[in-house]
This record gives sequence, structure tokens and C-alpha cells, in this order.
Amino acid sequence: MLLDARGVTKAFGSFKAVDAASVTLEQGDILGLIGPNGAGKSTFFNCLTGDLALTSGQVLFEDHDITELLPEARARLGLARTFQVPQTFEGMTVLENVMIGAFLRTPHRAEAEARARSVLERVGMMRLADAPARSLGTPGRKRLEIARALATEPKVLLLDEAMAGLTQREVQLAIDLVRDIHRSGITLVIVEHIMEVIMSLASRVMVFHQGKEIARGSPREVTSDPAVIAAYLGTRAAKAAAGHTPIELMGGPAT
Amino acid sequence: MRRTLWLLIALALVVAYPLVFTTPFQQRLGALVLLYAIAASAWNIVGGYAGQISVGHVVFFGSGAYAAMGAYAHFALSPLIGIPAGIVFAVLIAAVIGGPTLRLSGHYFSMATIAVAELARLIVTNTEYLGAAVGLSGPTVPRNVFDMSFISALPYYYLFLAILIITLGITWWMTSSRMGFYLRAIKDSERAARSLGAPASRTKLYAYMLSAGLTSVAGALYAMIFGFVDPESGLGILISVKILIMAALGGAGLLFGPFVGAAILVPLEEISNSLLGGKGAGLTFVVYGAIIVLIARFQPGGILALINRLWAKRRAKPTEESISKEASHAS
Repeated sequence: MLLDARGVTKAFGSFKAVDAASVTLEQGDILGLIGPNGAGKSTFFNCLTGDLALTSGQVLFEDHDITELLPEARARLGLARTFQVPQTFEGMTVLENVMIGAFLRTPHRAEAEARARSVLERVGMMRLADAPARSLGTPGRKRLEIARALATEPKVLLLDEAMAGLTQREVQLAIDLVRDIHRSGITLVIVEHIMEVIMSLASRVMVFHQGKEIARGSPREVTSDPAVIAAYLGTRAAKAAAGHTPIELMGGPAT
Repeated sequence: MRRTLWLLIALALVVAYPLVFTTPFQQRLGALVLLYAIAASAWNIVGGYAGQISVGHVVFFGSGAYAAMGAYAHFALSPLIGIPAGIVFAVLIAAVIGGPTLRLSGHYFSMATIAVAELARLIVTNTEYLGAAVGLSGPTVPRNVFDMSFISALPYYYLFLAILIITLGITWWMTSSRMGFYLRAIKDSERAARSLGAPASRTKLYAYMLSAGLTSVAGALYAMIFGFVDPESGLGILISVKILIMAALGGAGLLFGPFVGAAILVPLEEISNSLLGGKGAGLTFVVYGAIIVLIARFQPGGILALINRLWAKRRAKPTEESISKEASHAS
């Protein structure tokens, strides 16, 4: 088992943002975390990456307890992430941004640069290597986040709404990129609002509502789960919606 | 190539300066510019590259100054012997106070460093061994050349130049290493840097210790050229402020920024002091305040960043369009 989170609870004061959530991740999975706004999926995500300290629970990575490890130590073990709001290193070029990731596996500048260039090649940003990162727009920044994370040579990549704010076409390109990453043998966890993305990528889905896991299963199972529909639309709407294709109601494509 | 050429020209000008401007005032002015350039360049490592605005660097400056004068006053040794002692002391202080304070972010870090600096000044003012409020003096009549007590500013000038070059060399070496990359990343987003495996706390602490050691050398040199140190000249908070403003004015986070800042501010201060005499001292600080406001409002990157930007303006910026085109090629 690659990643194993057991009874993860994160409380802010008396408010439990995540309440006893557990998840396991096998090599080759693409796990989707979904849920309405404020459901706790980002908090759970940040507990996995070490950005937030757990109130209780345990996180294991390749059977090692990493609950107490700092984010940088988790990165070293092979856990990489992107940020919902891109945390671009504004003062650097695109290439240098990626080199920061590459430096995790080599202390040598030339080597880091070579690795960063090959990652840029892979994500299709080679031509922008020497551009200042601050000149990138949202799609470029989102892609750069992924490139930087890939440069750390992760085993697990956690994408936090990597496609929010992209146009339909850009989302399609990003999905292709994620598929390509998955094919290269990296296990993925994606937090996403866009149902289309979850439906086309995730092998398993976990649904959060008010800090608790309310459903899990394949994307199709989960989207037809009455509890999930109720969480998104309210119980009354869920009853009224009986008979409609649920995914349609949740903003997905009418397939 | 072109950059190397410009550097050589600049170096030649700096080397030739005291031979062209030969009055004692001009030579001394040159030496002071170099001295402050060393201090500001040392500050730049942690304040500029790592973005940790220390206002307490005078503690390290004072370590060097007191170590140099102490070596003479207590052990009748050359003040030069005080330099390594000052470095060791400054680095130790940095390690001790850096641990807890570097966790603080932004203004809180700055305020903590001010507190440490004031504390150090008060302790020293009340410590008889360090001369209390009177301070320590260097050799009035030099026994030999190692007492570093010269009437002419010329020997100081070239000594300071050599040390400035070493300081800039170390800075350059650091910025082109992994540590320098990590520092710049931490400055922009510590959280992202950590997520990519940069050990943020340790990297900041190392930078702080390196900066402290180099700052203490500047302090030792300062005590040598003035021949004494007291709590005000060695540990006064305004020295920290001066160093910080020089780096910020010239361009914090740029290799030659602090030197440019020192070359502008030191003459300004010396000339206003000599024109206005005792009355001018207050005016200098008014000028500093005005400079802080102007930099913060109009040119946060400093003068050198402005020049670099004008220089690079010809280059076309990549547009949103070219990025999505790029992206579509990729898939």
C-alpha cells in the first residue's frame, strides 16, 4: 500500500473540518476527492501533504508513519503536490521554478537544470523556459505547478484543483497531461470541482460532506448515490431529482 | 562576455578611485563606501535573497567591532586577530537567535531582531569588561602594521575592497548553488518551497549564520578605521537601518545592489554632515525616512532592478496566447 490515512481528524477550535477520514491508495490509482465547498477535502488534502498538523489520526506512506513529518520530508519520500492557488516563484524564470523541484534529487546546478528542461519538454513548456514566471497566466501557472512537482520525481502526486479557472479546451489539455503522468507510473490524488474531470480520470472517488466521508466507489456509483446528491443539492432537490441522470444535475456533461 | 567586460571596467574604476581623488576626505569617503557595501552585501544574503528583513544585524556588526577592539584592549593583540573571534561569536549568536526568530514571518521577524539588537546594546552598555558606555579603543600609536592604525585612508580602502570582493564572491557562489535557489524560492513562497523538498528552516538559518559572519567582519573593519567602538557606534539600531536602506535602495536580492546603494547614500550622508555640521545629523535620518517611503512606493526592487528592467525591455514577453499554443503542441 502506497498511502494509508487512518482516522484523520483536523479540528480548528471546536470545529472539525475533517472528521475521522480514512483512505488508502494503491500503486497506479487515481483517487478523486470531491464534495461541495467547505466539505473538508482541501483540509484533508493538506493533512496528507503535511501542510496541516493532524488533531488525531495517522498517515502511513509505504508503511512508514509520516504523521509527524514536515512537508519537505514527505517530498523527499516521494509525495508531491500542487496548490489550488498557484504558488509560483514570481522572481524566477519558468526553468528556475522547475529547478527548485529538481534540486530535491541532485545538489548540482547543471544536473538540476538538465532535469528541469526535460520536465518542461514533457509538459510542453520548453519554449517558455527562460520567460519570467510572473509573465504566465492561470493556465501556464497551473501547468508550471505540475511541472515543478514532477521534477521532484514523486511516487504520488496530489493535485489540488489543478484545473479550476481553465477554459474547456485548457481543461482537456490538462486532462491529457494528467493521463500522461499516470501512464508514467505516478499515482494520483485529485481534488476537483469539475465533475467532467473526475468522471474521465478517477478510478476511485471519495465524497466529502461536512468533514465526513459520505460515499466512496467508482465515479458512476458515487454520482448516483442518493446521499451524494443530497449533499450537493439538498434533500428536497434530491427527491425531486429522482429519475434524472444525477451527473447532469451536478454540472457534468449530458452523456 | 559583455557582463564580464562591464565588471572589469567597474573594478578598474573602483581600484583607480583613490588614486584620482587624492584628498583625505575623498579617500576616506571611498573607504566608507566600501565598508558599508560589505555590511550591506552581507545583510543582502538574508535580507535580500531570503527575504528575511533583519533589523538586528547591528548585533553581528557589534560582535566584530568589539572583538577587534577587545583583542587589542584586553590582550594587546592585533585587531586582526579579533576578526575570526568576531565571526565565531556572530555565527553563534545567529544560530541561537535564528532558531526561534526565523520561524516568525514578515514584520514579526523584523521586530524580534530589533528587540535582540536593543537587548545587546543595553547589556553591553552595562558590561564593564566591554567598556560599558565609554566603549573600547584601539591602538592610538600603532606598534606595527598589524595594528591596522593608519593615518591615510588608502590602506583601509584597498583592504576593504579586497574584503568586499571576497564577500561578493561568497554571495555569488551561494546564489548559484542549490542554497541560493532555495532561498529565492522560500522568499517567494515558503510553503511551495517546502512542498518541493526545500528544507526551509535549515536553509534560512544557514543563510542567517553566513550573513552574520560577514557582517561581523564589516564591524571589525569599522572599528579599525575609527579606532574605537562604543555602544552607539557598534550596536546602535541606526546602523542596522542604514545597512538595510543601502541594500534596498541599490537593489535587495541583487549581487551589486548593496554596493550601488552604499555608493549613493554614504557620500550623501558624509557631505550633508560636513556641510551642516552637528545640525546635519538629524537631517540624515529624515532623508533615510524619505528614501524608505520612495523605494517602497515606486521602486521596491531598488535602483539596480530599475536599470535591469529598462535594459531588458526590448525582450518580448510571452503571452497567454503563446502558452496555450505551446500547451496544445504538447498534447
